[in-house]
Amino acid sequence: MVEKFHSELDMLKEHTLEMGTLSRTMLQMSIRALKSQDLDLAAWVMSRRDNLTTLDDSIEEDALRLMALYQPMAKDLRTIACTLKVITYLTRIGIYGKDIAVVVNKASGMPPVPGLFDIPKMTRIVCGMVDAGLKAYATDSISSIEAIGKRDDEVDALFFSTFQDCIAAMTEDPKKIPVCTNYILVARYLERCGDHACKMAEKVHYMVTGERIEIE
Amino acid sequence: MEKSPSIITTKNLNLWYGEKQALADITMEVERNRVTALIGPSGCGKSTLIRVFNRMNDLIDTCRVEGSVLIDDQDIYHPAADVVSIRKKVGMVFQKPNPFPKSVYENVAYGPRIHGIRERGELDRIVEVSLRDAALWNEVKDRLHDPAGGLSGGQQQRLCIARCLAVEPEIILMDEPCSALDPIATAKIENLIDILKRSYTVVIVTHNMQQAARVSDFTGFMYLGKLIEFGETTRIFEKPKEELTANYVTGRFG
Repeated sequence: MVEKFHSELDMLKEHTLEMGTLSRTMLQMSIRALKSQDLDLAAWVMSRRDNLTTLDDSIEEDALRLMALYQPMAKDLRTIACTLKVITYLTRIGIYGKDIAVVVNKASGMPPVPGLFDIPKMTRIVCGMVDAGLKAYATDSISSIEAIGKRDDEVDALFFSTFQDCIAAMTEDPKKIPVCTNYILVARYLERCGDHACKMAEKVHYMVTGERIEIE
Repeated sequence: MEKSPSIITTKNLNLWYGEKQALADITMEVERNRVTALIGPSGCGKSTLIRVFNRMNDLIDTCRVEGSVLIDDQDIYHPAADVVSIRKKVGMVFQKPNPFPKSVYENVAYGPRIHGIRERGELDRIVEVSLRDAALWNEVKDRLHDPAGGLSGGQQQRLCIARCLAVEPEIILMDEPCSALDPIATAKIENLIDILKRSYTVVIVTHNMQQAARVSDFTGFMYLGKLIEFGETTRIFEKPKEELTANYVTGRFG
């Protein structure tokens, strides 16, 4: 039974990683859709919302079932507890992707500001942070998440500069107000995703080492 | 958890059965009014260790003990130590309920009687208090003079606990007290252990890790006669320090 438990626990982690890939892809594709005004891609992102919920529910159910049937201890217990938290953060990140896709849809027809200020750079860092958390979760090693706090500081700084740049652009040309307001919203969503990636990294750190940390 | 003074202290305890060493260099402290669980695979020495605490191993001719075992600061292996008073102070409950082939009442009254209590009223009082403390009184008060063998397994085990309480011990040793019981009887004993620790110190050997996690404040993990890790139960089960402990509590060996 112990072997069966450990193979089921491996499956639980597999499903969580699958969900992680979906969330990160939703976020990344929503920004690509924003950049290229691609309404089909935005629609694809929105359509993934249900898959995310299905995965969230089924992983939670599996985790609870494993706890009830096997009463896991030590690292096994920490893995399940971590998984239950991680899927919540992944759901939030995926939903922000969906929200950005909704913005793309609503803003169709508005001429974009080329370059989107620092949004593409923020996206690269945030997606990298999510990937680092998932890698640590997959490999039981914290090396990939060690500097995640610094990366989040960078994301916060980029959010602030995007905000400032948008204000400046709007002041200069009021016709840009609708599109720049959307950019501020999108940058804010990305900044939140960075925070969720940090919370995820904290939980994974606990899973791997048994020590609780707080990423400032 | 608030630190409680220790009631049992072992220092460099070694024990041999003939040539075979069963305990190696055990140094540990058992805190008063706490439940301490000993876990580990079969043959790891946990039952041997618990039997050291009331000198049950004396019954085995080839058994040899080195190192010190202090109970209330008294070395129980000192040549002048009084085994009878040690066993009065340190009671024991075994894996299978083993009531005497006597009535419920006589099972509980037996200990006080051999310790010199003869007065009927006093014996009645001890029997009632002990059975109440063992959470059995309500179930047997109308059949005190029926044979103890007629009780269910779980009731017999609580009778054995009552019999142990009747001589007012300080420490109660339990060697897998629930392994012959069904889940409901097991839950009753676990509840009882939680109540008993207010007045007694409990040391329990169990094969059931979830039981150790539920009932104990401290847990010691033993392997091949050594105490590999000892600490607060929540820590041992949530984040053990030793790899051997982690492997055992997650079922990777044992």
